[in-house]
Amino acid sequence: MTATRAGPDAASLLTAVRGRDSLAIARAITAIENRSALGTELAVAVRGRANSCRSLGVTGPPGAGKSSLINALLPELLPRYRRVAILTVDPSSPISGGAVLGDRVRMAAHSANPDVFIRSLAARGHLGGVTRTTRSVMDLLAAAEMDLVIVETVGTGQSEVEVAELTDVKIVVSAPGLGDEMQAIKAGVLEIADLLVVNKADLPDAARTTAHLKAMLHHSGPDDRRSVLSVSTLSQDGLKALGDAVEAKFAGLLSEPPNPAVGRAISRSMLARDVADAAAALVSGSDDSRIAAILEDMTAGKLSRREGAAAALELLADLDAL
Amino acid sequence: MPDTAPKPRVLLTKSFIDSHDRAIATIALALRDAAMEVVLIDYEQPEDVVTVALQEDVDIIGLSFMSGGQVETTQKIVAELQRRDVPDLPVVVGGVIRPFDVAPLEEVGVKEIFRGGAPLADVVATFDRLARAYRSRV
Repeated sequence: MTATRAGPDAASLLTAVRGRDSLAIARAITAIENRSALGTELAVAVRGRANSCRSLGVTGPPGAGKSSLINALLPELLPRYRRVAILTVDPSSPISGGAVLGDRVRMAAHSANPDVFIRSLAARGHLGGVTRTTRSVMDLLAAAEMDLVIVETVGTGQSEVEVAELTDVKIVVSAPGLGDEMQAIKAGVLEIADLLVVNKADLPDAARTTAHLKAMLHHSGPDDRRSVLSVSTLSQDGLKALGDAVEAKFAGLLSEPPNPAVGRAISRSMLARDVADAAAALVSGSDDSRIAAILEDMTAGKLSRREGAAAALELLADLDAL
Repeated sequence: MPDTAPKPRVLLTKSFIDSHDRAIATIALALRDAAMEVVLIDYEQPEDVVTVALQEDVDIIGLSFMSGGQVETTQKIVAELQRRDVPDLPVVVGGVIRPFDVAPLEEVGVKEIFRGGAPLADVVATFDRLARAYRSRV
């Protein structure tokens, strides 16, 4: 337990992480999240490890029952994947930056299980349903020899699909009464699902919701890559079938050759986001007089937003700092 | 500039059997508004609190009591903190704390006791101070 005191170096912390010391894992995650010097060093050291670990994304609107579903599904998953880590993301306050992280309230039954590691993450202003550093945290959990990492997103709207880039198998959780067939045919989060789960199947409207989603999935003919399952965490109905479906998806991934085009597309979109973040940080933190001049012109209405952004990008291209 | 300054992380908890959650929700919101990240759980066993505190890497634990177990539960949690090698992680308690609970709670090393009616600003300031002191310890 060398890592239990503050100020460990990256190497000794990583040794403890590989030794599955839960406090070391937790402290490493904190460092990565805070993007401290230690965190950056750790992230680099474990980069890419998540590729060798199964990952399951769970997303869906607030109140659909994502946390409860994970809680209820764990007894199905644990015999198949021995050590399971769960990252649950909740939004940060846009006003104070603070957060209430309440997902693991639903998972209390697994608190004492040494094979389950749960960590609550605050989105800290990152859009997309996950956090800016989720990929690195997943790498770290893979380095801690987790067999499965589950990522539960913020309660999403219709277009937070970043979790699709991070995880191999995606569950989108829906619930009865959240919308009609119009909602089911819109573009967005429903499209990324490998498994569409209608939770709260004990409620009266569940069959209709299931039918809408099936119609959406199969509009261009039968599609056996994606399926709709109905589940009730209350009555436990459908959980075994969902566990089987998750296992079948993972097994299917192994037999499919990895598609380099998908990998490149994901890298491109991550690069675009990271560049945007870096540029935003440079502009926000800049006291350069030329940036100030652009701001002046924009405020006075002499430059449009598009023109201002183009002028700022031109300046950034000259900066050594980038 | 994205704010990457470490935010105090807090674990607020009560027994799952204790259905009174108004106080803990009030404190959670006040701490959230003071820029802290607050993890909420209802524990089944006192030892579970420490498991969660370690996984979440929190800087302070707040225990809320309404119906009972004030001293016994706190003692168990503090003992578990020692057993798992984090004896310095600060613990504060709040809620219904009877006069005869105070001495044993202080003896076990509780850093602060908030009773009903404690000014919210004081509660927030105490959490912030204790959490930051723990985070910056050497």
